[in-house]
Amino acid sequence: MSLHCENIVKTYSGKDVLQDVTLDLQPGKIYGLIGRNGAGKTTLLSILSAQNPAGKGTVTLDGEPVWEHRKSLAKICFSRELNANAESGLAAMKAKEYLRIASTYYEDWDKALEERLVKLFDLNVKKKFGKMNKGLLSMVTIIVALCSKAPYTFLDEPVAGLDVVARERFYKLLLEEYSNSGRTFVVSTHIIEEAADVLEEVIILHEGKTLINADTQAFVDSAVHVSGKIEEVDAATAGLEVHHPETVGRSKGVTVFLRPGQRVDESRDVSVQPVSLQRAFVALCGEEEAK
Amino acid sequence: MNERLTEQKSIYLQISEMIETDILREILLEEEQVPSTNELAKLYTINPATAAKGVGLLVDEGILYKRRGIGMFVSKGAREKILAKRKAAFAENHVVPLLAEARSLGISKEELLTMIGERNI
Amino acid sequence: MKRNLRFWSRYTWESAGATLTCAAVLAVISLFGAEGLDFGTFAMVVPYYLVLSSIFMMLMINTGCQTLYVPLLLSMGETRRNVLLGFHYYRALIIAVTMAACAVIWLLVPGEVSAIGLRSIPTILCVLLIAAAVGSVMGTLFVKWRWLSMVIIILICGGAGGVVGFAGEAVASGKMSLAKTVDIVSHLMELPWWLLAAAPVSLGLDILFQWLLLRRQEVKL
Repeated sequence: MSLHCENIVKTYSGKDVLQDVTLDLQPGKIYGLIGRNGAGKTTLLSILSAQNPAGKGTVTLDGEPVWEHRKSLAKICFSRELNANAESGLAAMKAKEYLRIASTYYEDWDKALEERLVKLFDLNVKKKFGKMNKGLLSMVTIIVALCSKAPYTFLDEPVAGLDVVARERFYKLLLEEYSNSGRTFVVSTHIIEEAADVLEEVIILHEGKTLINADTQAFVDSAVHVSGKIEEVDAATAGLEVHHPETVGRSKGVTVFLRPGQRVDESRDVSVQPVSLQRAFVALCGEEEAK
Repeated sequence: MNERLTEQKSIYLQISEMIETDILREILLEEEQVPSTNELAKLYTINPATAAKGVGLLVDEGILYKRRGIGMFVSKGAREKILAKRKAAFAENHVVPLLAEARSLGISKEELLTMIGERNI
Repeated sequence: MKRNLRFWSRYTWESAGATLTCAAVLAVISLFGAEGLDFGTFAMVVPYYLVLSSIFMMLMINTGCQTLYVPLLLSMGETRRNVLLGFHYYRALIIAVTMAACAVIWLLVPGEVSAIGLRSIPTILCVLLIAAAVGSVMGTLFVKWRWLSMVIIILICGGAGGVVGFAGEAVASGKMSLAKTVDIVSHLMELPWWLLAAAPVSLGLDILFQWLLLRRQEVKL
C-alpha cells in the first residue's frame, strides 16, 4: 500500500531534470518536498500523477501502474500551481468554472468543505483567473487539493503569494484535514521554516536527485552546528560528514550531519548547537556558494 | 499550554515539557483530561505524529495514562513525579552550566556561594 | 466515463450557444435585403447558416479546447484515452446536432430549397467532418507553434469575413434572388468521390495525430 516510483529519469532538451529518482510514499503521512528553484519538484509531482510522461522509470500505486490507469489516477490529486498570464487560456476562466470542473472530475469532492473554504478565504469565485493575484490563485489550488479528498494529494508551492496569516491558516487547515481523514499529502515549498513542524517526512530534491528521504525530526536531530577556534572545530568534527564551512578570522562554523552512533567530540572547546530544517537544507544544498 | 515553540530543542520534547509545566503550575490537574494529539497539532501547527511522540514520552514515564476510547489523563501523583524528575535533573541542567560560566569568568567558589547566599529563593 | 460524458455534454451545450449566435448573426445580415424573401424561403436557408457557423466554430473552438480543456482534464486525473474519446464525442455531438437541426427544419418547411437541402446532407456531413479534422489539427499546431496557427486563424477569420461581406453585398444589392440561392446550394447535392474519400481519411489522420501527441503531452496550465 504505497505510491511508489522507481528510477525516474526525465530529460528536457538535453538536460536531466530528474536523474534516477526512487521514492516510496507511505499512506497517512505528510511529506515535504523541498528543493531550490529548478530542482525538479514540479516535474517529479507531474510524473507521479501521470500528468507528464516519465522519460524512464515506473510509477505504481498499490502495485498497479498509474499511467493511463483510471483506478489509480482517481486516488491521486495534484493541484497544480495556476499560471494565469495573458498567454494561458486560464486567464479568461472563472474560479467558479474551474471548481465546477474539479467537482465533476474528483469522485469524492466535498462540496460542503468547498463552500466553507470559499467563505473562509473570502474568495470571489466569479472573478476570472487573469484578474487574480498570486495569493488568490494559491487559495484556489488549496481548495481543489483539500476538497478532492484524494488519498494521495500533492500541493505545489501552495503558500506562494499568501501572507503570513493566510499561510498559518493553510497549515492549520491541512492538519485538520489530515487528522480527520488520514490522507497522504505531499507539499512542495521553499518557505521551509514555517512548514518544518508540519512535515512528518522530508524529501530533499537537489539537481534532480533525492538527497534526503527521512523522518523530519530524525533528519533535523542528526544535524548540528559546531563552532569555535578553527583547530578545535576541525578536531571535534574529524571523520564526520561536514558541510557548509564558514570561517571568520580564527573562528570557524560548520554544519555536521551525524550518522547513527556518531558524536561530535565535546571534550574540545567548541559550541554545539541544534539547527533548524532550513539551516540543514541550506547546509546541504547551498554548498557551491561556500566553496 | 500556550508557550511558544523554539528551535533549540526537538518539538516533541518541548510538547512533553509544556504539559509537565502545566501540571506543575496546576493548569492541568490530576485525573483531568489533557488535549488530544490532534488538538495539540492544530494549536501549535505541528504534525500530529510529533505531538503523539511528546505525549507518548509522558505515558512511558507514568505521568499520563490512556483511557480507552476517551483520551489521555493526568495520572495520580504525576505532580510529585515531575517534581522529583526535575529536581534530579536540576544539577545537570542548571548547576553544571552555571559552574562552567563561572569558571570561564574566573569566579571563585566562595564568590559564587556568596552570590547565591545574598539572594532569596 | 460518466463524468467524462457529463463534462463534454455540458461543453457541447455551451458551444452550441455560440454556434447559434453566429448563425443568428448571418441570418440577420441576410434579412436586410430580403425583399421578396418570404418566411418559408428564409426558413429553408437558415440551415445553411447553421452549417456555416458550425464549421466556423469547430475551426475556432477546437483550438481553445485543446490548449485549455485537454490539459485541464489531464491535470484532474483523466486518462489520455478518455480525453481523446470525450473530445471526439463532443465533436460527433456538434455535427449530429447541426445535421439533425437542418434535417428537422427542411422536413418541416417543404419547398425547393428544402428538397435540395435534404439531398445534400451526405455532402454537408463530409464537409463538417473535414472541418472538424482541420480544426483539431489547428488546435494541435496551436499547442506546438502558436504563431503558425495565429496566421491560419487570421486567414480563416478574414475568409469568413469576406464570405459574410460578399453575401451581405449580394443580398443588399438584390442579386441574391431565390433562383440564385437555389443555383448555389444545388451544387451541394453532388458528392464527388474525392470529398467522400477525404472525410474518413482526414478523420482517421486527425485521431491518429492527436493520439500520438496526447500520449506525450505534458500538462501546463
